[in-house]
Amino acid sequence: MKKKTIAIMMTAAMVMAMAAGCGSKESSASDGDNKEASYKIGIQQFAEHGSLDNCREGFLEGLEEEGIKEGDNLKVEVKNAMADTATNAQIADSFVSDNMDLICAIATPSAQSAYNAAMDKDIPVVYTAVTDPVAAELADKDGNPVGNVTGTSDTLPVEEQLKMIREMMPDAKTIGILYTTSEANSVSAIATYESLVDKYGFTLETKGISQTSEIALATDDLLTKVDCITNLTDNTVVASLPTILEKANEKSIPVFGSEIEQVKIGCLAAEGIDYIQLGKQTGKIAAQILKGEKKASEIPYEIISEPGFYVNTKVAENLGIEVPSDLADSAVESFDTISE
Amino acid sequence: MDFVISILEQGLIYGILALGVYITYKILDFPDLTVDGSFPLGGAITAYFLTGGMNPYLTLLLAFAAGAVAGICTGLIHVKCRVRDLLSGIIMMTALWTINLYVAGTANVPLFSQQTIFKNDTLSNMIPEGIQAYTTLIIVIVLVVISKILLDLYLETKSGYLLRAVGDNPTLVTSLAKDQGNVKIVGLAIANGLVSLAGSVFCQEERVFEISMGTGAIVIGLASVIIGTSLFKKLTLLKATSAVLIGSVVYKACVAIALRNFEPQAMKLITAVLFLAILVLGMERRKKVKTDAGA
Repeated sequence: MKKKTIAIMMTAAMVMAMAAGCGSKESSASDGDNKEASYKIGIQQFAEHGSLDNCREGFLEGLEEEGIKEGDNLKVEVKNAMADTATNAQIADSFVSDNMDLICAIATPSAQSAYNAAMDKDIPVVYTAVTDPVAAELADKDGNPVGNVTGTSDTLPVEEQLKMIREMMPDAKTIGILYTTSEANSVSAIATYESLVDKYGFTLETKGISQTSEIALATDDLLTKVDCITNLTDNTVVASLPTILEKANEKSIPVFGSEIEQVKIGCLAAEGIDYIQLGKQTGKIAAQILKGEKKASEIPYEIISEPGFYVNTKVAENLGIEVPSDLADSAVESFDTISE
Repeated sequence: MDFVISILEQGLIYGILALGVYITYKILDFPDLTVDGSFPLGGAITAYFLTGGMNPYLTLLLAFAAGAVAGICTGLIHVKCRVRDLLSGIIMMTALWTINLYVAGTANVPLFSQQTIFKNDTLSNMIPEGIQAYTTLIIVIVLVVISKILLDLYLETKSGYLLRAVGDNPTLVTSLAKDQGNVKIVGLAIANGLVSLAGSVFCQEERVFEISMGTGAIVIGLASVIIGTSLFKKLTLLKATSAVLIGSVVYKACVAIALRNFEPQAMKLITAVLFLAILVLGMERRKKVKTDAGA
């Protein structure tokens, strides 16, 4: 009987904690309203990983450039779903119940759940790092928003990447790609690669995996069939990049990256997106919406038009590959060490 | 208020899943990992049929049926091929990953433009303006209550009694000249049907199917069942099925509190601590019983 009392007290305590959480948030909200033009936004990030972290930093920088600075006139709440779908849904709901002025959603699943939760309350959602907003039903076929939702896409510059690989490796025949079958972004990128490889005289060899533990085996198998490997923005594969690089280095097979962070840690080169830049662009869109200049539903989603070339000269040296000088000169950033 | 509503919504949707886990874990004493695959199976079926223009309420039934088939497969693997219970679940869970991908077509299927059980033309005409904000919660409650009552009624039938007997005292079932293998298969079918139904509801509420939505579903289900049954063990008035549903809401509340007040990195740890605190309450009681018995 006594235990039951404890149990009931415990439940009561939790309900109170919940209510207290509610209360404090509401009071801080009204504090914000007193000051003029003060904003409260929620950032919902799907997983913890380099590119997505860069998006978030860039986003806040972009807002700051437009005069909306965290601490001054901006309150930011950052939540990370740690790649868990159920948590992701709860984060979106909590932002909506907190009546955020805007939700910034990083990566496709976050964007979808934020839009779904915010739809009825008409809270604007600005997404970034969504590879295919049309396939994710966040934009219609013409790129216009389907609701109060807009943002930026990190579509891979596949054509530029293939052209660059051809210049670096004139004799290469087969390109290998490792991807996760559960990531819609990767599947659509593979389709783009398939439609373009012929044009640059390559054949494509893809290997789909379903989880991290399969990467080592899949890499070994892929390396026996290809002249080089190129990466997508596949979350699982990118997270295991060190494993892949180690195996590829043993066989002196170059691995091309898809963005700057990957080149830093040992990919040979990349025609890639700078996620900080992408985040900044997203921040500027968000600033327009917060200031009331435009509605999210009036802004078509944007992409980064000019990819940058990144190269790691140390890797090139190790592999004995000479980077063509005009290509080397065009590099946005060139690294001469491999960071761990 | 919104905060509480969203906890109730999420908690009750996962409550349907917890009812399924309750059957396998508590009644059948069968650690069934099929759940991680049958939860997204419900979602995949829903995504497939909704994009094909089917009535969203009908997809609920189809999702249940698909989940039941998955449960039957796990049962057949266990009973007919004599694979250990844990392994047969793992086998089905692994197989379902691919099946789900095939059914849904791709790893992520948005359903924003489809009619769902929560948002469709008939519904928006039917529900009065004033309570539109609670539509989702009301529908979830209706679905949960229906599932719970049907399950309660089933457990009172002859087949339901046999189900309970298999977990408690398998010899009894054999002595009644019933095949306990078949009873297990039936139990697994109902359990995974419910789990798959939960997947369908979750998918329609979130308006997106995502292949990874099943990862950790079994953990949520088990947590809910254990929280529910240990918190309300002494309240004999409360049926175990109701306790499980409350357990699910409590679990989601734990997550929501952790999510709200702590760093995202700390969230899982905080959830674990809250979970442990609740478990210890149930445990203490059991220890006392043991020492009494020892003395």
